[in-house]
Amino acid sequence: MLTKAEKRKQIVLTALMIFASLFFLFPVIWMICNSFKTDAAITADMNSIRAFLPPAFTQDFFKNYIDILFGTKFMQYMGNTLLYAAILIVLGIIVNGLAGYALAKLKFPGRDKWMLVIMMLMIVPMETIITIHFLFIAKMGLLNTIVGYVLPGIVNPFNIYLFRQTFISLPDDIYEAAQLDHCSPMRYFFTMVLPMCKSVVATVAVFTFLGVWNDYLWPSLVFTSGDLLTAQIGLNAITANDNTTMGMTLAVITMVTIPVIIIYSFFSKQIVEGVVSTGGKEG
Amino acid sequence: MTKKSQSLLGMSFFGPALVLLCIFLFLPMILTLVFSFTDFFALNPNLIHFTGLSNYFEVFQDEDFVMAFLNTVKFVLIIVPCQCLGALGLAMLINKVTYCKKYFKVAFFIPVVMSLAVVSNLWIQIYSPEGIMNAILGFFGIEAQPFINSASQALPSIAFMSVWQGMGYQMIIFLGALQGINPALYEAADLDHASAWRKFIDITLPEIKPICIFVLITVTIGAFRMLVQPMVMTGGGPSHSTYTVVYDIYETGTVNWEIGMASTLAIVFAFFVMILTVIQNVVTRDKDEFNDKPRHNKRRMKSIGRMFVKDTEAEYVDQSREA
Repeated sequence: MLTKAEKRKQIVLTALMIFASLFFLFPVIWMICNSFKTDAAITADMNSIRAFLPPAFTQDFFKNYIDILFGTKFMQYMGNTLLYAAILIVLGIIVNGLAGYALAKLKFPGRDKWMLVIMMLMIVPMETIITIHFLFIAKMGLLNTIVGYVLPGIVNPFNIYLFRQTFISLPDDIYEAAQLDHCSPMRYFFTMVLPMCKSVVATVAVFTFLGVWNDYLWPSLVFTSGDLLTAQIGLNAITANDNTTMGMTLAVITMVTIPVIIIYSFFSKQIVEGVVSTGGKEG
Repeated sequence: MTKKSQSLLGMSFFGPALVLLCIFLFLPMILTLVFSFTDFFALNPNLIHFTGLSNYFEVFQDEDFVMAFLNTVKFVLIIVPCQCLGALGLAMLINKVTYCKKYFKVAFFIPVVMSLAVVSNLWIQIYSPEGIMNAILGFFGIEAQPFINSASQALPSIAFMSVWQGMGYQMIIFLGALQGINPALYEAADLDHASAWRKFIDITLPEIKPICIFVLITVTIGAFRMLVQPMVMTGGGPSHSTYTVVYDIYETGTVNWEIGMASTLAIVFAFFVMILTVIQNVVTRDKDEFNDKPRHNKRRMKSIGRMFVKDTEAEYVDQSREA
């Protein structure tokens, strides 16, 4: 139990912290409140406290959002990003999962050396090889294609490592039991191993999604124009357009953030798990 | 199962990943190293010459690169102390608060969730000459600043934004570490009437030292990799004042197609990132041994601490070694 003096101290501290957090979050509050206003209203409110308050609810309350959703290619960019993320999640789980399983449970020549190599690869900064990736994809004629975007991102040393660490603690008797039932190793992996390790699969899926959603450099290199842009690149295309008002800019960046907030609120456990086990380098 | 068929199975499971690893990690790494000794120009690939180390000499005479390197160092010098101390301070405050703890965790984490492109676009608006930042400064009687439109203020403005965006992440990591400290240590210190500062120096810091090193390294490397923010907000300008090393790699390699030069830059960049990791490890280790001698108070605390935490500490060390 807290004594009375301690309680008073706590209340003062909490009040100060709430004030500090509001000050800390002023850009976000400003962004959301002003995304519902016209440019004239934003400018008019700038020098008063109303800059941090939403406008009165009228017919035009969601006008900026409607303009973005139906007046630009924003929906298409969102759809693109979801598609790329889905492709990369499925392929990534298959390729990295199989590799992780092999490193954890199957004996093949040089296994431990490969494990060491994969751990060393985690240190290499991606920026050093992105030029060569770009050269490869350009030479293969895959610029402005989905394949060109997805191909270099499938294999990920972090995810192989994550899978390996989880699979290594699986009991061997399940595998032996499955073998008695004439279950092929491939079938065993997809119908037994992956369902048993739902947590790590979810972790990898969430990190892959966040990676695709937040990536900027690679999609800006691969997709030079057109309808294939991801949300982050499309966002720049929209804000760079002269017809886009300030209110619309704020509306579009608010909308790009919404899916990530949903992911974080549903999968915070997986995210913490991923941060702890990979040392946080993936986020 | 026979040994042979198992190794065959193992290779077939590992195969797809291995092929992709070779094409998209090993081969690019080798090519980067090889190209860094050539004058490979991708628009005219037939004219490729082996030039030895001349790229490496050229890099350090190249005005753009020197500028980019100095800017990157400035970013690191501003971001690392601000972000680490800010995150630690926030974590300690949140650790003290008993009410609304969950709200504070979420509130300070929100900017982390936003992507770099979103944050950059948002702060373009905030930093605009008639923007909200100038309105707030005006409220406190400070005259309007040009922020990202002036060569002298662009870099600190972007650094400030990055600190704001990244701090919550390290805050969560520190908070986890602080909550892992055995409360018995603080109770023992209270019996000795230790001051809050002494408790911080002698218990909190040593206890969270591994996490501190980890945070320092990741923040430094993160700041060293600065690219998206200047790319979106200023395009490296005004007058190259926010041009960074990674930006230089990107421009040389993918805009000007000078793959040879870009590879050299990439090698230099990777070299510095690795050096940073080593330096930080060495510095943080030395400091601890150095500090241990003159302070008997600390040693006493530590021996008290060892009674309680020896086992868990050993476990932790094992885990981190395995990782």
